[in-house]
Amino acid sequence: MPVKIGVPRALLYYNYFPLWNGFFRELGCDVVISGKTSKAILDKGVKMSVDEACLPVKLFFGHVVDLREKADYIFMPRMVSVERKSYICPKFLGLPDMVRYNIPDLPNIIDVTVNMSRNEKNLIKSFTEVGRLFTGNYLGIRKAFQKGLQEQERFERLNQLGFLPHESIEQMEKGLISQNYSPSHPGKLTIAVVGHGYNIYDAYISMNLINKLRDMSARVVTPDMLTNDIIQDRSDELPKKLFWSMGKQMIGSAFHYMRSQSIDGIIHVASFGCGPDSFTQELIERYLRRSRNMPFLNLTIDEHTGEAGVITRLEAFIDMIQWRRAAQ
Amino acid sequence: MRGYLGVDVGSVSTNVVLIDEQERVLETLYIRTQGQPVKAIQKGLEFIRDKISTDVEIGGLGTTGSGRHLSSVILGADSVKNEITAHAVAASKLVPGVQTVLEIGGQDSKIIILRNGVVADFAMNTVCAAGTGSFLDQQAARLNLPIEEFGPTALKSTTPVRIAGRCSVFAESDMIHKQQMGHNLSDILAGLCEAMVRNYLNNVGKGKEILGPVIFQGGVAANVGIKRAFEKSLGLEVIIPEHFNVMGAVGAAVLAKEEVTKTGTTKFKGFKVADADFKAASFECSDCPNLCEVIEMSEAEKIIARWNDKCGKWSNAVAHRKKIS
Repeated sequence: MPVKIGVPRALLYYNYFPLWNGFFRELGCDVVISGKTSKAILDKGVKMSVDEACLPVKLFFGHVVDLREKADYIFMPRMVSVERKSYICPKFLGLPDMVRYNIPDLPNIIDVTVNMSRNEKNLIKSFTEVGRLFTGNYLGIRKAFQKGLQEQERFERLNQLGFLPHESIEQMEKGLISQNYSPSHPGKLTIAVVGHGYNIYDAYISMNLINKLRDMSARVVTPDMLTNDIIQDRSDELPKKLFWSMGKQMIGSAFHYMRSQSIDGIIHVASFGCGPDSFTQELIERYLRRSRNMPFLNLTIDEHTGEAGVITRLEAFIDMIQWRRAAQ
Repeated sequence: MRGYLGVDVGSVSTNVVLIDEQERVLETLYIRTQGQPVKAIQKGLEFIRDKISTDVEIGGLGTTGSGRHLSSVILGADSVKNEITAHAVAASKLVPGVQTVLEIGGQDSKIIILRNGVVADFAMNTVCAAGTGSFLDQQAARLNLPIEEFGPTALKSTTPVRIAGRCSVFAESDMIHKQQMGHNLSDILAGLCEAMVRNYLNNVGKGKEILGPVIFQGGVAANVGIKRAFEKSLGLEVIIPEHFNVMGAVGAAVLAKEEVTKTGTTKFKGFKVADADFKAASFECSDCPNLCEVIEMSEAEKIIARWNDKCGKWSNAVAHRKKIS
């Protein structure tokens, strides 16, 4: 029977799942994803995790608990850095330890370190280390790694066409590898939702933000639809280099979207207590006010957020855009 | 004659207004919700029914406020709008040329920036309700001072004390400390007003361009101490519109009128609603791990609406209703 690798449907799942999935499948493992976020999963996460963590980290705990009985291994890489001289949030760095010491009776945890800050070739070393748990065949591991990279590339191409990452993952599961046209979401307005993937694509903790916007006949674009080159270019406009990879993605995409004539407004989504987000929000708002009078809304989410408050703000935001248009 | 009703069901107060076809305000009512929105709505409707003459025909009804969905189910509303839009609409109708709207209600506070009669920006307080009407109510009760006297007492102050206004819990302990030091009541109250205004401008008003004319509305605008603190801090005259405490309801009525002009008919169920027997019940649906707390509203033993379920299975079961939250 093939080994079952559990992947929590949280945090970097929304960024790198196809890479991991392609790699493990090529090695002959089964990949099990935790269920979609529900009240039960979130409650378990909040109960098990440390109090100081942000909402998405607490949610990750819940997804790990959900996998407890379903998998032989839980894959939870220690993500230090995914590009040169730039880092991932320190909470991700300590994630495997936080999980190990707070949740009892877990299956084996694969917590390989991924650190590409000095050398981007370190990625293959990390994958080799994981592959060796299952096979001694180096060629096979290399092949699996290549397969993972291919899948990841396809995934990113679908995102750039306008699929949201979780939709791309779904499409790839169904067998759609790449297509040459973008998904059609006709809308009267286009709203850029700038926020971390694990916050905005999780329908439960984002209070179904994206679908609510679509119901209000808005087309939604997100940072994941932009290429790394655009993100890098735009974020270089800041006087200093940003060393948080995810903060850079927020700034770069917001700077890109605020210039675009086809965007009607920007919604920034941050989780309460997120250090980097508290800066990106402030920077985005300041630069936006300086350059252009574009509608901007900041939403902060945590486990106490009431849905009513989010709906009120969203409705008012959309009303404002429509009212402005009618006045022009 | 044809009139339009606006109903604003907030955390602290329930307001009902009647406007005429020229959008002039004919009747206003401000009552406390007291945790029973359904009763408050019915009481409000009864009041308007008794006030108006028989030749007034209700052409439409709009609801707003945190209880807008509940009230729309009970009354049958033509427009259901969020309170930010409703307040902005009312402000721009009643005070033409307004550029900034400061609004402090029972549990929330907001700022709306208008330019050329159109909303340009807005902000609302986050999870924290420090510095809103409920806190002032609570402090007045602690000092055994009727809330109506709060403002005039604060105005008597000559040297307001400095109170930490970041958090209402800390503000309270700071106030107690100042009172035990021997400061007089009016200085403490004036200090509290200034702390609240400081907190408002630093949180809700952060980064907003506040230009005159500035109007101040919502229940807290009745407090002249807060008005003076705003004027002192902004260096601008702050106007309090005549119907400051029912502006949301005025906006709802105006929006209802606009909606009815488009649709041609009203969904308002009529004044008989005031005497109908409404019952609200809730249950936890255990069909999936989300465990939604579904609310069920029935009128004369007949279920008229359900809401608060994520999947829509319960709300859709009540056929003609669309999912409302």
